[in-house]
Amino acid sequence: MADGNGLPTGAASGVMEVGPSVNGAGTASPTPTSSSGAGAGASGSANQGYHQLSVTIEGASLRNNGFLKPNPYVELLIDSKSKRKTDLVKNSYLPKWNEEFTVLITPNSTLHFKVLDHSSFRKDAMLGERVINLAHILQHYNGRCEFLELTIDLFVTSKSDNRQTKSGELVAILNGLKLDMSKLQIQPAGVQQNGNPPVQAVNPSVVSEAAAGHSCTIYGGVRARMRLRSASGNSNGGESRSPLPNGGADHRRSAPAPPVWEQQQQSPNQPQPLRMVNGSGVAVPQTAPYPQQPPAPALARPLTQVYGALPENTPPSGVYLPAGGGAAVAATGVSGPPMEQSGVGLPVSQSTDPQLQTQPADDEPLPAGWEIRLDQYGRRYYVDHNTRSTYWEKPTPLPPGWEIRKDGRGRVYYVDHNTRKTTWQRPNSERLMHFQHWQGQRAHVVSQGNQRYLYSQQQQQPTAVTAQVTQDDEDALGALPDGWEKKIQSDNRVYFVNHKNRTTQWEDPRTQGQEVSLINEGPLPPGWEIRYTAAGERFFVDHNTRRTTFEDPRPGAPKGAKGVYGVPRAYERSFRWKLSQFRYLCQSNALPSHIKITVTRQTLFEDSYHQIMRLPAYELRRRLYIIFRGEEGLDYGGVSREWFFLLSHEVLNPMYCLFEYANKNNYSLQINPASYVNPDHLQYFKFIGRFIAMALYHGRFIYSGFTMPFYKRMLNKKLTIKDIETIDPEFYNSLIWVKDNNIDECGLELWFSVDFEVLGQIIHHELKENGEKERVNEENKEEYITLMTEWRMTRGIEQQTKTFLEGFNEVVPLEWLKYFDERELELILCGMQDVDVEDWQRNTIYRHYNRNSKQVVWFWQFVRETDNEKRARLLQFVTGTCRVPVGGFAELMGSNGPQRFCIEKVGKETWLPRSHTCFNRLDLPPYKSYDQLVEKLTFAIEETEGFCQE
Amino acid sequence: MTAPRRLRKELSDLQDNTLKAFRDIKADDDNLLRWTGLIVPDNPPYNKGAFRIEINFPAEYPFKPPKINFKTRIYHPNIDEKGQVCLPIISTENWKPATRTDQVVQALVDLINDPEPEHPLRAELAEEFLKDRKKFVKNAEDYTKKHSEKRPAD
Repeated sequence: MADGNGLPTGAASGVMEVGPSVNGAGTASPTPTSSSGAGAGASGSANQGYHQLSVTIEGASLRNNGFLKPNPYVELLIDSKSKRKTDLVKNSYLPKWNEEFTVLITPNSTLHFKVLDHSSFRKDAMLGERVINLAHILQHYNGRCEFLELTIDLFVTSKSDNRQTKSGELVAILNGLKLDMSKLQIQPAGVQQNGNPPVQAVNPSVVSEAAAGHSCTIYGGVRARMRLRSASGNSNGGESRSPLPNGGADHRRSAPAPPVWEQQQQSPNQPQPLRMVNGSGVAVPQTAPYPQQPPAPALARPLTQVYGALPENTPPSGVYLPAGGGAAVAATGVSGPPMEQSGVGLPVSQSTDPQLQTQPADDEPLPAGWEIRLDQYGRRYYVDHNTRSTYWEKPTPLPPGWEIRKDGRGRVYYVDHNTRKTTWQRPNSERLMHFQHWQGQRAHVVSQGNQRYLYSQQQQQPTAVTAQVTQDDEDALGALPDGWEKKIQSDNRVYFVNHKNRTTQWEDPRTQGQEVSLINEGPLPPGWEIRYTAAGERFFVDHNTRRTTFEDPRPGAPKGAKGVYGVPRAYERSFRWKLSQFRYLCQSNALPSHIKITVTRQTLFEDSYHQIMRLPAYELRRRLYIIFRGEEGLDYGGVSREWFFLLSHEVLNPMYCLFEYANKNNYSLQINPASYVNPDHLQYFKFIGRFIAMALYHGRFIYSGFTMPFYKRMLNKKLTIKDIETIDPEFYNSLIWVKDNNIDECGLELWFSVDFEVLGQIIHHELKENGEKERVNEENKEEYITLMTEWRMTRGIEQQTKTFLEGFNEVVPLEWLKYFDERELELILCGMQDVDVEDWQRNTIYRHYNRNSKQVVWFWQFVRETDNEKRARLLQFVTGTCRVPVGGFAELMGSNGPQRFCIEKVGKETWLPRSHTCFNRLDLPPYKSYDQLVEKLTFAIEETEGFCQE
Repeated sequence: MTAPRRLRKELSDLQDNTLKAFRDIKADDDNLLRWTGLIVPDNPPYNKGAFRIEINFPAEYPFKPPKINFKTRIYHPNIDEKGQVCLPIISTENWKPATRTDQVVQALVDLINDPEPEHPLRAELAEEFLKDRKKFVKNAEDYTKKHSEKRPAD
């Protein structure tokens, strides 16, 4: 297994320099508080007591270094006491003991293994020893030691020069320990290591890494893997949950025992993660029968089917039968034999598929060793056989001053002699442009000498000088989000630690990506007014000229030239800049080494679920190495791209009942309120949250997207009545009718209480206390509409949404998303696709224009001349999504069925274009020139919808 | 509870002020969201019988419109073999929360009495209706006699 050594300098953190010094170390040897998992608090100590652990010492292979075979035995010390000894095996370099000890440990215990040579004449000689911190293992395996096989490198210390040399390997099995990691106080790794010299690894580079990454210690001579449980172990396997999303039907069939779902319903107060959703105090009848219609038949796959694909993957010994719970099944892949075979080093076969090679290359030929391929969705990507990596973008020659190199382990990296930096990523023009833009900002913040300080000097002063001053901001901004802590570097620079998922950043998470409006708030010029768009963005109304602008008219305000980040405002709002900000955060919090995820295609969901949920969330920020069992494919990008695509397709499949289409004409996905029929649904939502965050973090795309309101929820944006329109136009129309009409006279019989139906059950909800008794009238209807909007957007999915966001936040802090609006979020998650402009134009209809109207001609000229990103955003502006239906533009759907893209002549040339996403219609005023059209259109698609709709 | 309260009121209003063309209105004993009633048309060829319909209200009523289904078979261009009917007043675009069930039923009765062959659910009947009215009326009458329920005495 790879450890962190041998990385080119700075490579792990990408092109830029790393953030605060905690960045590297903070992730691995955190301060006690940071490792405790925020919010665990008092409950932690309860778990610090003793637990039983079964340690089986199986055998060892010792180096042959003498003329007499040793008589080895093993001594095991827990925390340097309570010595246990095995019998001795005579005359063997390959002793087998197979002795089991039950020991008492704490989560922070050390296990000291000593292999000694028994001698009847003199003192027993040390053959090799090793101290293991249990905490590392627990962290790595999320508190579970079940049939965990450790292969431990043994070392002896030379008396003459104190050097350590490897003297053999010991195999031991840990079993029977299961702790709740969220309640543990794991002590910093470094402390204990330093107290125990034997742990110090041989390799000096490992020693230095040991302080920086605990995985080095786990992997640095200790290899762990979970064994499948033996068949007999299955008798108590009831505790392991089924890996499949269980359909209700399945439960009913598993006759005598009551369905899990019902059991849990009887004890709804237990803090189990798998509870029935009650919404916000929604009264689910406790006696409710199981839903009448069987939900989602696809869920009810029998478990046995899962194992069908396994036998060829079981270890050759055959001892470990694939009979246990799904967790054990999934674990085989972690370091099992099949994967090792497909390990790095296999030659890549040059594709001989003529179809692929005849793929039209744009204009220039590819560099040597490159190839174009198509993924299964027909997207083109580029394979670099020199470096074994894949890219979406067409390769460009290395820029001047760059050099390609290989490290000691054959991995390719890039050296930029201009800046004396290294990176794993091949520099392309776009990346370099980002970098150069980034570098360009340095001048603005030169006083701090750090280009990563994102606020303009004006605003950074108060935070930079002393911590005292920032206290004022603190009050105004409110408390830090849960789990965050503010810290100050030795040079007084403030940074922020996110203990929940062990990340650090310079920016205040409360203002990240947002305007700091507390500063520079002078009076507005006469006749001006501040307003906010529906999306909460501030804009300014000049009543003198009857114009609106996003630009603050006050002198001293960051105008034109610079925005909150000290970069030009126009650029700051650009998607590329935001994306580079986000990528930077990802890179600067990257962890060394990689994680392997091994899956079988047939059981993709379950395999991925178990492996992703077993790992501590922060591990998911390591480089991914995805293996499809039985397939020779090296994951230098392509395989994990495929994995993200396939798995997203799988988990979001409405058949699983976890997600549903927004409505019959909107194929965007949202959480299904009926998902509660699956007793494990919350676990799955947590998993999907992690997975979606991984896609963003690793820059991969998912197959299909979510509804705009769902993205807004991820961004913690307030949902408005307009958001209902996209998911439930009927409900929206009714609500608008209530808003626009006098309701006192028409016998609506509306009260502050509502019903809805899930799977045949009517769920009742009081919009406010005693809402049952309060009638809606003209006076209180605004309140009613607000409450109804909120309820409509959250009903039945609150718990699921919360769990999804928790899972997400463990991998990527939600604060990092604040740069983006919901449309941009969709773009980075789903990616852009090549839009077929011919097809688009062919399937467009016109109202009050015709295809030869000059505005229409200009429109298509603009579409053709602009880049893919703008095209995608234009499409999103008009249709609500940047994705084109599978069948092309002819299959574009509106809220009432098929609805072609439509351009209508509306308004005057001074107006901005507007859109009606329900009808895929663009209202394009009759502009006087091409330039005017481009300007207005660009403005409309780049600003928020609220503004443009006015 | 919005829907039941509104529906209880509408139901008692309807039962108090009986419509001549809509009789025998009942809600299910255990489910106020499901009503049945008898349509009694005035115009030939449907004035030879009566037609049982079912009205299903969604839990979100009146934010969502009710759905109407014919339980009695009827020979009509706007009502298909399964008893589904396309009634503009309860379509997504036209629905208003203030629309009352008696208005919906009135619209339905009007549609029965005066078919709209321009928006047919059964194109072959619409064609017959337009091209050979006599034959259509004959067929519809026969069909009504054969399948419909008895008209109430008064």
